[in-house]
Amino acid sequence: MHGSAEFVKGKNYTASELMAITTCKEFRDWEVAFVGIGIPLVAGILAKRLHAPNLSIVYESGSIGPEKFRVDFNVGDSSAADGALCLTSEWRVFGDLQGGYYDIGVLGGAQIDRYGNLNTTAIFGGGDYRRPKVRLPGSGGGNDIGSSVGRVVIMMRLEKHRFVPRVDYITTPGYLDGSPGARERAGLLGGGPVAVVTSKGVFRFHPETREMYLHTIYPGVEAEEIRQSVGWDLKIAGDLQVAPDPSEAELAALRAADPANLILGGAGARERLSGLDEFVELTLKHAKR
Amino acid sequence: MSDRGKANKLMSLQEAVSTYIKDGCSITFGGFIGRDCLAAVHEIIRQGIKDLVVIDDSKTDVMDLLVGAGCVGRWEGAYLGYGSIGLANNVRRAVEQGIPRPIDLEDWSNAAVSMRFLAGGLNLPFMATRSMLGSDIIKYNSRIKVMEDPYNGTPVALVPAARPDVAVIHVQRADAMGNAQVFGFTGNDGNKARAAKHTIITCEEIIPTEEVRRGGNLTLIPFYCVDAVVHVPYGCYPQSCYGYYAYDVLFCGEYHEMSKTREGFLKWLDRYVYGCRDHLEYCSRVGWDRLKSLTYLERQFNRV
Repeated sequence: MHGSAEFVKGKNYTASELMAITTCKEFRDWEVAFVGIGIPLVAGILAKRLHAPNLSIVYESGSIGPEKFRVDFNVGDSSAADGALCLTSEWRVFGDLQGGYYDIGVLGGAQIDRYGNLNTTAIFGGGDYRRPKVRLPGSGGGNDIGSSVGRVVIMMRLEKHRFVPRVDYITTPGYLDGSPGARERAGLLGGGPVAVVTSKGVFRFHPETREMYLHTIYPGVEAEEIRQSVGWDLKIAGDLQVAPDPSEAELAALRAADPANLILGGAGARERLSGLDEFVELTLKHAKR
Repeated sequence: MSDRGKANKLMSLQEAVSTYIKDGCSITFGGFIGRDCLAAVHEIIRQGIKDLVVIDDSKTDVMDLLVGAGCVGRWEGAYLGYGSIGLANNVRRAVEQGIPRPIDLEDWSNAAVSMRFLAGGLNLPFMATRSMLGSDIIKYNSRIKVMEDPYNGTPVALVPAARPDVAVIHVQRADAMGNAQVFGFTGNDGNKARAAKHTIITCEEIIPTEEVRRGGNLTLIPFYCVDAVVHVPYGCYPQSCYGYYAYDVLFCGEYHEMSKTREGFLKWLDRYVYGCRDHLEYCSRVGWDRLKSLTYLERQFNRV
């Protein structure tokens, strides 16, 4: 998913920053994490710099446990290999994923349904799979992560056209039709989604019905506002939590992890850079070595 | 195949592309959005090769350029986006509007494509995976067969071997025989070279065979898989090449803005592909100072 540079009303942080900081808390120290690029990756880097210094990040390109000196813009950027514990092949890391070695995966998506099924392939609109309204990138490694990793955290901006009763195309399986044992029957090895971190709050999944419910709201957000942004009759936790504002230390660590703001800030941030020299300078200045 | 025993497979990029890449052939590209074969892709576009069937895992610039230039008829793969910058504009135009021509898409996951190349490299007809089960990837792709494994009865997905006509793979170092050494992670490149009928290696540096022998464990692709060796420094630019240069996020950002319209993309193509006789001219147009900055940045972190 892509960033935006606008501050949340009345706050000193953007929605993308709050999502990254919230997601980072899902990682535990010593875990092995398979993350997608963009904000999910920044959340992983942040976790390493805050509470989980021994977190190992795995990239599908074949890098296991790199130091995170620099932010990556693609899964195969040379930066993804910086100081890695193991540099190997793509088929080998997918084998290790299937082998049950990876604890947590973080994914973005364009559409999600109440059972956590994710679409990153195509928005059909008036069309169909062959001629969709919007063609998206496709699975990449998303389906593989969602199929086999220990637990999945999903990051998505909360918008009604994204939180839909049925996704146009299930790229990555969540709990499928929500029936008991649906994942096991299909032959899936991984545990499935545990959280959906959005721009307004965090959803989790009911242990029996497998349905997504509202677990945590961000400061200044009303639960009703969230209900209006979801395409089904959203259930809300009896003990709904309110997340704290991120601390100055968290925000500083996050901004140092993406020093040119190119992931969290998107296209606008690119235009604000004077040129490549400034990018090189910022990258070297904030490289944590 | 008679060329394969030759001690010297060095040739120009123009010659390698025109010899092995033909209209309508199936092809795969090395790299994994990093160490991509951009120089070869530009040459394919300059030669006007058409109707390619691309079998691949994940691609950004490589596919967006080829699709926008009208070189691709079909894609079998897992990811066609533009990394953390956004969606692939030319891919969208081709799929959504048929501009400049419609392309036929077949979706797979990255693990599935990896297994297809492993099967190809092992000379087996198919491989099994536990990915894609329960998803719509299977619903829309009839070549994925779900069966119960004959030993324990659990569901598995079978995927057919990939055996493309050509693989083009950029590496850091190769000798004239075609022993290709890769530093950093290796994607599916070892299997792609083995699965393909012909392999073109492009590289940052040509090294003597004695130097290969000093570090034989770095040789990902041995000479017998290779038909052509081409010396193309900065051959991945604007993508990264481990130990040689970092990714140019600003150049790619500009490309992404330009390619939002068909006219903008054609202008970009004229400037950086049709307007350059070869890769050297492309490097000059980008600017050697810029390339040197990216090498400087990369070498603060990784050295070969």
